[in-house]
Amino acid sequence: MPTLREIQQAVGRSVIAGDDALAAGHVLADGLPPQARLGIYRNNFIGNATTALRLSYPAIHSLVGAEFFEGAASIFIAAEPPRRADLDAYGEGFPEFLAGFPPAGALPYLAGVARLEWAVNRALHAPDMEPLDLARLGAVAAADRDRIAFLLHPSVGLVEADHPLDAVWRAVLAQDDNAMAAIDLDAGPVRLLVERCATGVEVTRLEEPAWRFAAALYASRPLRRAIEAAPEVDAAALLAEHLAAGRFIGFELVDGPITSGLHS
Amino acid sequence: MGASTAPIGAERGPVPPEAGIGLRFLHHQAVLDERPPVAWLEVHTENYLGGGTPLAYLEAIRRDYPIALHCVGLSLGSAEGLDLGHLDRVRRTVERIAPALVSEHLSWSIAEGRYLADLLPLPMTEEALDIVCRHVDQTQTVLRRRILVENPSSYLRWRHSTIPEWEFLAAVARRTGCGILCDVNNIYVSACNHGWNPSIYLAALPPAAIGEIHLAGHSVRQLEGGRTLRIDDHGSRVIPEVWELYAEALARFGPVPTLIEWDTNLPALAVLVGEAARAAALLDCARQIADADAA
Repeated sequence: MPTLREIQQAVGRSVIAGDDALAAGHVLADGLPPQARLGIYRNNFIGNATTALRLSYPAIHSLVGAEFFEGAASIFIAAEPPRRADLDAYGEGFPEFLAGFPPAGALPYLAGVARLEWAVNRALHAPDMEPLDLARLGAVAAADRDRIAFLLHPSVGLVEADHPLDAVWRAVLAQDDNAMAAIDLDAGPVRLLVERCATGVEVTRLEEPAWRFAAALYASRPLRRAIEAAPEVDAAALLAEHLAAGRFIGFELVDGPITSGLHS
Repeated sequence: MGASTAPIGAERGPVPPEAGIGLRFLHHQAVLDERPPVAWLEVHTENYLGGGTPLAYLEAIRRDYPIALHCVGLSLGSAEGLDLGHLDRVRRTVERIAPALVSEHLSWSIAEGRYLADLLPLPMTEEALDIVCRHVDQTQTVLRRRILVENPSSYLRWRHSTIPEWEFLAAVARRTGCGILCDVNNIYVSACNHGWNPSIYLAALPPAAIGEIHLAGHSVRQLEGGRTLRIDDHGSRVIPEVWELYAEALARFGPVPTLIEWDTNLPALAVLVGEAARAAALLDCARQIADADAA
Protein backbone atom coordinates (compact mmCIF):
# COMPACT_ATOMS: atom_id res chain seq x y z
CA MET A 1 0.00 0.00 0.00
CA PRO A 2 1.44 3.42 -0.93
CA THR A 3 2.15 5.86 1.85
CA LEU A 4 0.33 9.18 1.96
CA ARG A 5 3.55 10.94 1.05
CA GLU A 6 3.98 8.73 -2.02
CA ILE A 7 0.42 9.41 -3.13
CA GLN A 8 0.86 13.15 -2.70
CA GLN A 9 4.16 13.27 -4.56
CA ALA A 10 2.62 11.29 -7.43
CA VAL A 11 -0.43 13.55 -7.58
CA GLY A 12 1.77 16.64 -7.42
CA ARG A 13 3.60 15.44 -10.52
CA SER A 14 0.30 14.64 -12.23
CA VAL A 15 -1.21 18.04 -11.46
CA ILE A 16 1.85 20.17 -12.19
CA ALA A 17 3.67 18.24 -14.89
CA GLY A 18 0.86 16.18 -16.40
CA ASP A 19 2.68 12.94 -15.52
CA ASP A 20 -0.09 10.53 -14.50
CA ALA A 21 2.03 7.34 -14.67
CA LEU A 22 2.21 6.82 -10.89
CA ALA A 23 -0.89 8.63 -9.66
CA ALA A 24 -3.40 6.97 -12.02
CA GLY A 25 -2.64 3.53 -10.60
CA HIS A 26 -3.91 4.59 -7.19
CA VAL A 27 -7.24 6.02 -8.44
CA LEU A 28 -10.47 4.01 -8.78
CA ALA A 29 -11.78 4.24 -12.34
CA ASP A 30 -15.48 3.81 -11.49
CA GLY A 31 -16.83 4.74 -14.91
CA LEU A 32 -14.32 7.47 -15.70
CA PRO A 33 -10.62 6.94 -16.50
CA PRO A 34 -8.29 7.89 -13.62
CA GLN A 35 -6.48 10.26 -16.01
CA ALA A 36 -9.74 12.18 -16.57
CA ARG A 37 -10.36 12.39 -12.82
CA LEU A 38 -6.83 13.67 -12.18
CA GLY A 39 -7.34 16.05 -15.10
CA ILE A 40 -10.10 17.85 -13.20
CA TYR A 41 -7.62 18.74 -10.46
CA ARG A 42 -4.98 19.71 -13.04
CA ASN A 43 -7.44 22.07 -14.75
CA ASN A 44 -8.44 23.59 -11.41
CA PHE A 45 -4.76 24.07 -10.51
CA ILE A 46 -3.90 25.81 -13.78
CA GLY A 47 -7.13 27.82 -13.71
CA ASN A 48 -6.67 29.04 -10.14
CA ALA A 49 -2.97 29.83 -10.58
CA THR A 50 -3.72 31.64 -13.86
CA THR A 51 -6.42 33.68 -12.13
CA ALA A 52 -3.92 34.65 -9.44
CA LEU A 53 -1.47 35.83 -12.13
CA ARG A 54 -4.19 37.73 -13.97
CA LEU A 55 -5.15 39.56 -10.76
CA SER A 56 -1.51 40.51 -10.13
CA TYR A 57 -0.76 41.37 -13.77
CA PRO A 58 -3.93 42.98 -15.17
CA ALA A 59 -2.05 45.31 -17.55
CA ILE A 60 -0.03 42.43 -19.02
CA HIS A 61 -3.29 40.54 -19.50
CA SER A 62 -4.74 43.53 -21.39
CA LEU A 63 -1.60 44.10 -23.44
CA VAL A 64 -1.23 40.56 -24.75
CA GLY A 65 -4.86 39.36 -24.69
CA ALA A 66 -6.46 36.45 -22.83
CA GLU A 67 -5.27 33.67 -25.13
CA PHE A 68 -1.61 34.71 -25.14
CA PHE A 69 -1.73 35.36 -21.39
CA GLU A 70 -3.16 31.94 -20.60
CA GLY A 71 -0.60 30.23 -22.84
CA ALA A 72 2.30 32.07 -21.24
CA ALA A 73 0.85 31.54 -17.75
CA SER A 74 0.50 27.77 -18.20
CA ILE A 75 4.18 27.46 -19.18
CA PHE A 76 5.25 29.68 -16.29
CA ILE A 77 3.04 27.83 -13.78
CA ALA A 78 4.49 24.44 -14.76
CA ALA A 79 8.03 25.85 -14.44
CA GLU A 80 7.47 27.81 -11.23
CA PRO A 81 4.43 26.42 -9.40
CA PRO A 82 3.20 28.28 -6.31
CA ARG A 83 5.18 27.62 -3.15
CA ARG A 84 2.71 29.15 -0.75
CA ALA A 85 -1.02 28.86 -0.20
CA ASP A 86 -1.59 32.61 -0.35
CA LEU A 87 -1.81 33.16 -4.07
CA ASP A 88 -1.59 36.95 -3.64
CA ALA A 89 2.12 36.30 -3.14
CA TYR A 90 2.43 34.15 -6.28
CA GLY A 91 4.12 35.25 -9.49
CA GLU A 92 7.26 37.13 -8.47
CA GLY A 93 9.20 35.35 -11.23
CA PHE A 94 6.69 36.18 -13.99
CA PRO A 95 8.46 39.39 -15.20
CA GLU A 96 11.74 37.50 -15.58
CA PHE A 97 9.91 34.69 -17.36
CA LEU A 98 8.35 37.16 -19.82
CA ALA A 99 11.77 38.75 -20.45
CA GLY A 100 13.03 35.38 -21.70
CA PHE A 101 9.83 34.27 -23.44
CA PRO A 102 10.49 34.44 -27.21
CA PRO A 103 6.85 35.02 -28.28
CA ALA A 104 6.86 38.19 -26.14
CA GLY A 105 9.89 39.56 -27.99
CA ALA A 106 7.79 41.92 -30.10
CA LEU A 107 6.90 43.94 -26.98
CA PRO A 108 10.26 44.99 -25.50
CA TYR A 109 8.60 46.85 -22.63
CA LEU A 110 6.42 43.89 -21.53
CA ALA A 111 8.76 42.55 -18.84
CA GLY A 112 9.21 46.09 -17.52
CA VAL A 113 5.48 46.65 -17.18
CA ALA A 114 5.31 43.28 -15.41
CA ARG A 115 8.01 44.41 -12.96
CA LEU A 116 5.98 47.53 -12.23
CA GLU A 117 2.83 45.45 -11.73
CA TRP A 118 4.63 43.15 -9.31
CA ALA A 119 5.78 46.19 -7.30
CA VAL A 120 2.16 47.43 -7.29
CA ASN A 121 0.96 43.99 -6.18
CA ARG A 122 3.52 43.88 -3.37
CA ALA A 123 2.45 47.35 -2.23
CA LEU A 124 -1.22 46.29 -2.25
CA HIS A 125 -0.72 43.16 -0.17
CA ALA A 126 2.07 44.22 2.20
CA PRO A 127 1.23 43.93 5.88
CA ASP A 128 0.00 46.97 7.77
CA MET A 129 2.77 48.47 9.92
CA GLU A 130 2.92 51.61 12.02
CA PRO A 131 5.08 54.34 10.46
CA LEU A 132 8.15 55.53 12.30
CA ASP A 133 7.35 57.64 15.36
CA LEU A 134 9.06 60.95 14.59
CA ALA A 135 9.57 61.67 18.30
CA ARG A 136 11.99 58.73 18.38
CA LEU A 137 13.94 60.31 15.56
CA GLY A 138 13.99 63.66 17.33
CA ALA A 139 15.64 62.01 20.31
CA VAL A 140 18.73 61.02 18.31
CA ALA A 141 21.78 63.13 19.29
CA ALA A 142 22.97 65.47 16.54
CA ALA A 143 26.35 63.72 16.45
CA ASP A 144 24.65 60.40 15.67
CA ARG A 145 22.38 61.54 12.84
CA ASP A 146 24.83 60.50 10.11
CA ARG A 147 24.53 56.95 11.41
CA ILE A 148 20.73 56.67 11.08
CA ALA A 149 19.73 53.79 8.79
CA PHE A 150 16.00 53.68 8.08
CA LEU A 151 13.82 50.56 7.76
CA LEU A 152 11.51 50.73 4.76
CA HIS A 153 7.77 50.16 5.05
CA PRO A 154 7.02 46.89 3.17
CA SER A 155 4.38 48.64 1.03
CA VAL A 156 6.96 51.02 -0.53
CA GLY A 157 9.16 50.17 -3.50
CA LEU A 158 11.15 51.57 -6.42
CA VAL A 159 11.12 50.53 -10.07
CA GLU A 160 13.57 51.70 -12.73
CA ALA A 161 12.98 51.10 -16.43
CA ASP A 162 14.38 52.03 -19.85
CA HIS A 163 10.94 52.99 -21.22
CA PRO A 164 8.08 55.14 -19.82
CA LEU A 165 6.31 52.08 -18.42
CA ASP A 166 4.17 54.04 -16.04
CA ALA A 167 2.50 55.75 -19.00
CA VAL A 168 1.90 52.38 -20.67
CA TRP A 169 0.57 50.89 -17.43
CA ARG A 170 -1.84 53.79 -16.85
CA ALA A 171 -3.10 53.88 -20.44
CA VAL A 172 -3.68 50.12 -20.54
CA LEU A 173 -5.57 49.97 -17.24
CA ALA A 174 -7.65 53.01 -18.24
CA GLN A 175 -8.26 51.36 -21.64
CA ASP A 176 -7.28 54.72 -23.13
CA ASP A 177 -6.17 54.01 -26.71
CA ASN A 178 -5.43 57.68 -27.41
CA ALA A 179 -3.09 57.93 -24.42
CA MET A 180 -1.48 54.67 -25.49
CA ALA A 181 -0.90 55.95 -29.03
CA ALA A 182 0.64 59.17 -27.71
CA ILE A 183 3.35 57.39 -25.70
CA ASP A 184 6.89 57.82 -27.02
CA LEU A 185 8.54 54.56 -26.00
CA ASP A 186 11.96 56.07 -26.73
CA ALA A 187 11.39 58.99 -24.35
CA GLY A 188 14.06 57.55 -22.11
CA PRO A 189 14.21 55.84 -18.73
CA VAL A 190 11.81 56.44 -15.85
CA ARG A 191 12.36 56.02 -12.11
CA LEU A 192 9.22 55.23 -10.16
CA LEU A 193 8.16 55.30 -6.54
CA VAL A 194 5.40 52.76 -5.79
CA GLU A 195 3.50 53.09 -2.52
CA ARG A 196 0.19 52.25 -0.93
CA CYS A 197 -2.21 55.04 -0.03
CA ALA A 198 -5.68 55.01 1.53
CA THR A 199 -7.49 54.13 -1.70
CA GLY A 200 -4.97 51.91 -3.47
CA VAL A 201 -1.47 52.21 -4.87
CA GLU A 202 0.20 55.33 -6.24
CA VAL A 203 3.02 55.35 -8.78
CA THR A 204 5.07 58.58 -8.90
CA ARG A 205 8.00 59.56 -11.12
CA LEU A 206 11.18 60.68 -9.35
CA GLU A 207 13.97 62.79 -10.83
CA GLU A 208 17.21 60.86 -11.15
CA PRO A 209 19.04 62.50 -8.17
CA ALA A 210 16.00 62.16 -5.87
CA TRP A 211 15.75 58.53 -6.97
CA ARG A 212 19.42 57.96 -6.06
CA PHE A 213 18.81 59.47 -2.62
CA ALA A 214 15.66 57.38 -2.08
CA ALA A 215 17.37 54.20 -3.30
CA ALA A 216 20.16 54.66 -0.74
CA LEU A 217 17.71 55.40 2.10
CA TYR A 218 15.45 52.48 1.15
CA ALA A 219 18.44 50.14 1.11
CA SER A 220 18.97 51.10 4.77
CA ARG A 221 22.29 52.82 4.05
CA PRO A 222 23.24 55.34 6.75
CA LEU A 223 21.93 58.86 6.22
CA ARG A 224 25.41 60.26 5.54
CA ARG A 225 25.90 57.74 2.73
CA ALA A 226 22.53 58.63 1.19
CA ILE A 227 23.45 62.31 1.22
CA GLU A 228 26.79 61.53 -0.38
CA ALA A 229 25.05 59.43 -3.03
CA ALA A 230 23.01 62.46 -4.12
CA PRO A 231 24.94 65.61 -3.16
CA GLU A 232 22.91 67.81 -5.51
CA VAL A 233 19.52 67.27 -3.80
CA ASP A 234 17.98 69.17 -0.89
CA ALA A 235 18.36 66.18 1.40
CA ALA A 236 16.56 67.75 4.37
CA ALA A 237 13.49 68.55 2.30
CA LEU A 238 13.37 65.12 0.60
CA LEU A 239 13.88 63.30 3.88
CA ALA A 240 11.07 65.30 5.47
CA GLU A 241 8.79 64.24 2.62
CA HIS A 242 9.68 60.54 3.03
CA LEU A 243 9.06 60.77 6.76
CA ALA A 244 5.78 62.67 6.42
CA ALA A 245 4.52 60.07 3.95
CA GLY A 246 5.20 57.32 6.50
CA ARG A 247 7.56 55.40 4.23
CA PHE A 248 9.74 54.12 7.10
CA ILE A 249 8.78 51.91 10.02
CA GLY A 250 11.89 52.41 12.12
CA PHE A 251 15.61 53.05 12.11
CA GLU A 252 18.80 51.89 13.71
CA LEU A 253 22.13 53.57 14.33
CA VAL A 254 24.85 51.94 12.26
CA ASP A 255 27.89 51.08 14.37
CA GLY A 256 31.09 53.08 14.15
CA PRO A 257 31.78 56.56 12.82
CA ILE A 258 30.73 57.27 9.23
CA THR A 259 33.80 58.63 7.51
CA SER A 260 33.06 61.05 4.74
CA GLY A 261 34.13 60.15 1.23
CA LEU A 262 34.07 56.35 1.55
CA HIS A 263 31.34 54.28 -0.07
CA SER A 264 30.32 51.22 1.88
CA MET B 1 -2.50 44.91 16.82
CA GLY B 2 -2.50 43.58 20.38
CA ALA B 3 -5.66 41.59 19.69
CA SER B 4 -4.12 38.32 20.87
CA THR B 5 -6.06 38.46 24.13
CA ALA B 6 -9.38 39.19 22.43
CA PRO B 7 -12.10 36.81 23.57
CA ILE B 8 -13.42 34.17 21.23
CA GLY B 9 -16.19 35.88 19.29
CA ALA B 10 -15.93 39.13 17.40
CA GLU B 11 -17.09 42.53 18.53
CA ARG B 12 -20.55 41.48 17.41
CA GLY B 13 -20.46 38.24 19.37
CA PRO B 14 -20.40 34.62 18.21
CA VAL B 15 -22.11 33.43 15.09
CA PRO B 16 -25.82 32.84 15.84
CA PRO B 17 -27.63 29.74 14.52
CA GLU B 18 -28.96 31.85 11.66
CA ALA B 19 -28.19 32.39 7.98
CA GLY B 20 -25.11 34.22 6.69
CA ILE B 21 -23.40 34.74 3.35
CA GLY B 22 -19.88 34.41 2.01
CA LEU B 23 -18.35 37.87 1.52
CA ARG B 24 -16.16 38.48 -1.54
CA PHE B 25 -14.20 41.62 -2.50
CA LEU B 26 -16.77 42.66 -5.11
CA HIS B 27 -19.37 43.08 -2.35
CA HIS B 28 -17.21 44.88 0.24
CA GLN B 29 -18.58 48.33 -0.50
CA ALA B 30 -22.17 47.14 -1.03
CA VAL B 31 -22.18 45.42 2.37
CA LEU B 32 -20.97 48.61 4.07
CA ASP B 33 -23.47 50.77 2.18
CA GLU B 34 -26.52 48.53 2.31
CA ARG B 35 -26.06 46.58 5.55
CA PRO B 36 -27.88 43.55 4.07
CA PRO B 37 -30.23 41.65 6.40
CA VAL B 38 -28.04 38.60 7.03
CA ALA B 39 -26.98 37.37 10.46
CA TRP B 40 -23.25 36.95 9.80
CA LEU B 41 -20.53 36.88 7.14
CA GLU B 42 -17.72 34.53 6.23
CA VAL B 43 -14.54 35.29 4.26
CA HIS B 44 -11.62 33.25 2.98
CA THR B 45 -8.77 33.85 5.41
CA GLU B 46 -6.19 33.64 2.61
CA ASN B 47 -7.62 36.81 1.01
CA TYR B 48 -6.83 38.82 4.15
CA LEU B 49 -3.29 37.77 5.02
CA GLY B 50 -1.83 41.11 3.90
CA GLY B 51 -2.75 44.61 5.01
CA GLY B 52 -4.17 47.55 3.14
CA THR B 53 -7.65 47.88 1.69
CA PRO B 54 -9.03 44.32 2.09
CA LEU B 55 -8.23 44.17 5.80
CA ALA B 56 -9.49 47.74 6.31
CA TYR B 57 -12.84 46.73 4.77
CA LEU B 58 -13.04 43.60 6.90
CA GLU B 59 -12.33 45.58 10.08
CA ALA B 60 -15.06 48.06 9.17
CA ILE B 61 -17.56 45.30 8.34
CA ARG B 62 -16.89 43.31 11.51
CA ARG B 63 -18.23 46.20 13.57
CA ASP B 64 -21.67 45.32 12.23
CA TYR B 65 -21.53 41.57 11.62
CA PRO B 66 -20.08 38.49 13.31
CA ILE B 67 -17.29 37.19 11.06
CA ALA B 68 -16.16 33.63 10.36
CA LEU B 69 -12.73 32.98 8.83
CA HIS B 70 -12.73 30.06 6.38
CA CYS B 71 -9.24 28.79 5.48
CA VAL B 72 -8.43 27.03 2.20
CA GLY B 73 -4.64 26.71 2.37
CA LEU B 74 -3.56 25.01 5.61
CA SER B 75 -3.46 21.63 3.85
CA LEU B 76 -4.30 19.66 7.00
CA GLY B 77 -3.74 16.39 5.16
CA SER B 78 -0.21 16.95 3.83
CA ALA B 79 2.12 14.11 4.85
CA GLU B 80 5.12 16.46 4.79
CA GLY B 81 3.69 18.58 7.61
CA LEU B 82 2.04 21.98 7.86
CA ASP B 83 3.58 25.09 6.27
CA LEU B 84 4.41 26.89 9.51
CA GLY B 85 4.90 30.22 7.74
CA HIS B 86 1.38 30.01 6.36
CA LEU B 87 -0.03 28.92 9.72
CA ASP B 88 1.66 31.93 11.33
CA ARG B 89 0.16 34.33 8.77
CA VAL B 90 -3.25 32.80 9.43
CA ARG B 91 -2.66 33.20 13.17
CA ARG B 92 -1.95 36.91 12.75
CA THR B 93 -5.17 37.46 10.79
CA VAL B 94 -7.16 35.39 13.31
CA GLU B 95 -5.76 37.46 16.17
CA ARG B 96 -6.49 40.74 14.41
CA ILE B 97 -10.05 39.90 13.34
CA ALA B 98 -10.96 37.78 16.41
CA PRO B 99 -13.52 35.85 14.36
CA ALA B 100 -16.43 33.94 15.85
CA LEU B 101 -15.50 30.79 13.90
CA VAL B 102 -12.40 29.47 12.13
CA SER B 103 -12.60 26.54 9.72
CA GLU B 104 -10.52 24.51 7.26
CA HIS B 105 -11.07 21.47 5.02
CA LEU B 106 -10.55 17.73 5.33
CA SER B 107 -8.21 17.71 2.35
CA TRP B 108 -4.68 18.44 1.20
CA SER B 109 -3.15 20.97 -1.23
CA ILE B 110 0.63 20.84 -0.78
CA ALA B 111 3.10 18.21 -1.99
CA GLU B 112 6.88 18.61 -2.08
CA GLY B 113 6.47 22.25 -1.09
CA ARG B 114 4.27 23.03 -4.10
CA TYR B 115 0.75 24.38 -3.66
CA LEU B 116 -1.76 22.66 -5.94
CA ALA B 117 -4.38 25.44 -5.62
CA ASP B 118 -7.29 23.08 -4.95
CA LEU B 119 -8.71 20.91 -2.17
CA LEU B 120 -7.61 17.36 -2.96
CA PRO B 121 -9.22 14.29 -1.40
CA LEU B 122 -7.27 12.15 1.05
CA PRO B 123 -6.95 8.39 0.96
CA MET B 124 -9.22 7.32 3.80
CA THR B 125 -6.64 5.32 5.75
CA GLU B 126 -5.47 5.04 9.37
CA GLU B 127 -2.21 6.72 8.31
CA ALA B 128 -4.04 9.73 6.86
CA LEU B 129 -6.32 9.90 9.91
CA ASP B 130 -3.29 10.10 12.22
CA ILE B 131 -1.72 12.84 10.08
CA VAL B 132 -4.90 14.93 9.87
CA CYS B 133 -5.50 14.64 13.63
CA ARG B 134 -1.90 15.69 14.35
CA HIS B 135 -2.30 18.76 12.12
CA VAL B 136 -5.69 19.71 13.56
CA ASP B 137 -4.12 19.51 17.05
CA GLN B 138 -1.19 21.63 15.88
CA THR B 139 -3.47 24.22 14.27
CA GLN B 140 -5.72 24.46 17.32
CA THR B 141 -2.65 24.90 19.53
CA VAL B 142 -1.15 27.67 17.40
CA LEU B 143 -4.47 29.48 16.93
CA ARG B 144 -5.37 28.86 20.60
CA ARG B 145 -8.93 27.96 19.68
CA ARG B 146 -11.11 25.16 18.38
CA ILE B 147 -11.50 24.97 14.63
CA LEU B 148 -14.17 23.41 12.44
CA VAL B 149 -13.17 20.87 9.78
CA GLU B 150 -15.24 20.70 6.59
CA ASN B 151 -16.07 17.66 4.45
CA PRO B 152 -14.78 18.28 0.91
CA SER B 153 -16.38 17.54 -2.44
CA SER B 154 -14.36 15.16 -4.57
CA TYR B 155 -14.01 13.81 -8.09
CA LEU B 156 -11.95 10.72 -7.37
CA ARG B 157 -11.45 7.99 -4.77
CA TRP B 158 -8.27 6.10 -3.87
CA ARG B 159 -8.02 2.36 -4.35
CA HIS B 160 -6.64 1.69 -0.90
CA SER B 161 -9.11 3.74 1.16
CA THR B 162 -10.51 1.66 4.01
CA ILE B 163 -12.60 4.10 6.05
CA PRO B 164 -15.83 5.74 4.84
CA GLU B 165 -15.35 9.53 4.68
CA TRP B 166 -18.16 10.14 7.20
CA GLU B 167 -16.52 7.85 9.76
CA PHE B 168 -13.14 9.47 9.09
CA LEU B 169 -14.56 12.97 9.71
CA ALA B 170 -16.37 11.86 12.87
CA ALA B 171 -13.11 10.29 14.11
CA VAL B 172 -11.18 13.53 13.51
CA ALA B 173 -13.75 15.41 15.61
CA ARG B 174 -13.71 12.78 18.34
CA ARG B 175 -9.92 12.56 18.57
CA THR B 176 -9.04 16.28 18.31
CA GLY B 177 -12.08 17.96 19.83
CA CYS B 178 -12.51 20.01 16.67
CA GLY B 179 -15.96 20.84 15.38
CA ILE B 180 -17.42 19.86 12.03
CA LEU B 181 -18.41 22.22 9.25
CA CYS B 182 -21.00 20.14 7.44
CA ASP B 183 -21.10 21.20 3.80
CA VAL B 184 -24.43 19.80 2.65
CA ASN B 185 -23.75 20.61 -0.99
CA ASN B 186 -20.41 18.77 -0.80
CA ILE B 187 -22.12 15.72 0.68
CA TYR B 188 -24.60 15.79 -2.18
CA VAL B 189 -21.91 16.30 -4.85
CA SER B 190 -19.64 13.55 -3.50
CA ALA B 191 -22.57 11.20 -2.92
CA CYS B 192 -23.65 11.59 -6.55
CA ASN B 193 -20.10 11.27 -7.85
CA HIS B 194 -19.26 8.18 -5.80
CA GLY B 195 -22.62 6.48 -5.30
CA TRP B 196 -22.88 7.19 -1.58
CA ASN B 197 -26.10 7.55 0.40
CA PRO B 198 -26.15 11.13 1.74
CA SER B 199 -28.49 10.17 4.59
CA ILE B 200 -25.97 7.63 5.86
CA TYR B 201 -23.32 10.37 5.68
CA LEU B 202 -25.42 12.77 7.78
CA ALA B 203 -26.38 10.07 10.26
CA ALA B 204 -22.71 9.26 10.95
CA LEU B 205 -21.82 12.80 12.05
CA PRO B 206 -22.09 13.58 15.77
CA PRO B 207 -24.75 16.35 16.13
CA ALA B 208 -22.97 17.98 19.05
CA ALA B 209 -19.86 18.58 16.91
CA ILE B 210 -21.67 20.39 14.07
CA GLY B 211 -20.67 24.06 14.33
CA GLU B 212 -21.66 25.31 10.90
CA ILE B 213 -23.38 24.28 7.67
CA HIS B 214 -22.41 25.35 4.14
CA LEU B 215 -24.79 25.54 1.19
CA ALA B 216 -23.83 26.35 -2.40
CA GLY B 217 -24.62 25.65 -6.02
CA HIS B 218 -22.71 23.23 -8.24
CA SER B 219 -22.58 22.35 -11.90
CA VAL B 220 -23.19 19.08 -13.71
CA ARG B 221 -20.82 17.80 -16.38
CA GLN B 222 -22.12 15.22 -18.85
CA LEU B 223 -19.74 12.34 -19.45
CA GLU B 224 -19.68 9.69 -22.15
CA GLY B 225 -22.11 6.83 -21.65
CA GLY B 226 -24.75 9.03 -20.05
CA ARG B 227 -22.89 9.40 -16.77
CA THR B 228 -22.57 12.73 -15.04
CA LEU B 229 -19.99 14.27 -12.75
CA ARG B 230 -20.99 17.04 -10.36
CA ILE B 231 -18.48 19.88 -9.98
CA ASP B 232 -18.50 21.99 -6.84
CA ASP B 233 -17.99 25.40 -8.46
CA HIS B 234 -20.10 27.62 -6.15
CA GLY B 235 -21.41 29.39 -9.23
CA SER B 236 -25.20 29.12 -9.02
CA ARG B 237 -28.19 28.81 -6.69
CA VAL B 238 -28.59 25.90 -4.27
CA ILE B 239 -30.52 23.16 -6.07
CA PRO B 240 -33.80 21.69 -4.69
CA GLU B 241 -32.18 18.34 -3.83
CA VAL B 242 -29.60 20.12 -1.66
CA TRP B 243 -32.31 22.18 0.09
CA GLU B 244 -34.04 18.88 0.90
CA LEU B 245 -30.84 17.42 2.27
CA TYR B 246 -30.33 20.63 4.28
CA ALA B 247 -33.78 20.18 5.88
CA GLU B 248 -32.77 16.63 6.75
CA ALA B 249 -29.53 17.91 8.28
CA LEU B 250 -31.41 20.48 10.39
CA ALA B 251 -33.82 17.80 11.57
CA ARG B 252 -30.84 15.82 12.76
CA PHE B 253 -28.56 18.59 14.08
CA GLY B 254 -31.05 21.27 15.14
CA PRO B 255 -30.55 24.91 14.09
CA VAL B 256 -26.90 25.52 13.12
CA PRO B 257 -25.24 28.68 11.67
CA THR B 258 -25.70 28.27 7.92
CA LEU B 259 -23.74 29.94 5.14
CA ILE B 260 -24.55 30.57 1.48
CA GLU B 261 -21.29 30.29 -0.51
CA TRP B 262 -20.89 31.75 -3.98
CA ASP B 263 -17.48 32.14 -5.66
CA THR B 264 -17.72 32.02 -9.46
CA ASN B 265 -20.09 34.16 -11.57
CA LEU B 266 -20.74 36.19 -8.43
CA PRO B 267 -24.25 37.72 -8.66
CA ALA B 268 -25.61 40.89 -7.07
CA LEU B 269 -25.61 40.94 -3.29
CA ALA B 270 -29.44 40.72 -3.29
CA VAL B 271 -29.30 37.23 -4.84
CA LEU B 272 -27.11 35.97 -2.00
CA VAL B 273 -29.40 37.64 0.55
CA GLY B 274 -32.37 35.88 -1.08
CA GLU B 275 -30.70 32.49 -0.78
CA ALA B 276 -29.86 33.24 2.85
CA ALA B 277 -33.52 34.14 3.50
CA ARG B 278 -34.49 30.72 2.23
CA ALA B 279 -32.07 29.08 4.63
CA ALA B 280 -33.36 31.33 7.42
CA ALA B 281 -36.91 30.10 6.82
CA LEU B 282 -35.79 26.47 7.19
CA LEU B 283 -33.81 27.42 10.30
CA ASP B 284 -36.98 28.95 11.78
CA CYS B 285 -38.83 25.69 11.24
CA ALA B 286 -36.01 23.75 12.85
CA ARG B 287 -36.05 26.14 15.81
CA GLN B 288 -39.80 25.73 16.30
CA ILE B 289 -39.47 21.95 16.26
CA ALA B 290 -36.55 22.08 18.69
CA ASP B 291 -38.53 24.40 21.01
CA ALA B 292 -41.59 22.13 20.84
CA ASP B 293 -39.45 19.11 21.67
CA ALA B 294 -37.96 20.93 24.64
CA ALA B 295 -41.36 21.98 25.97
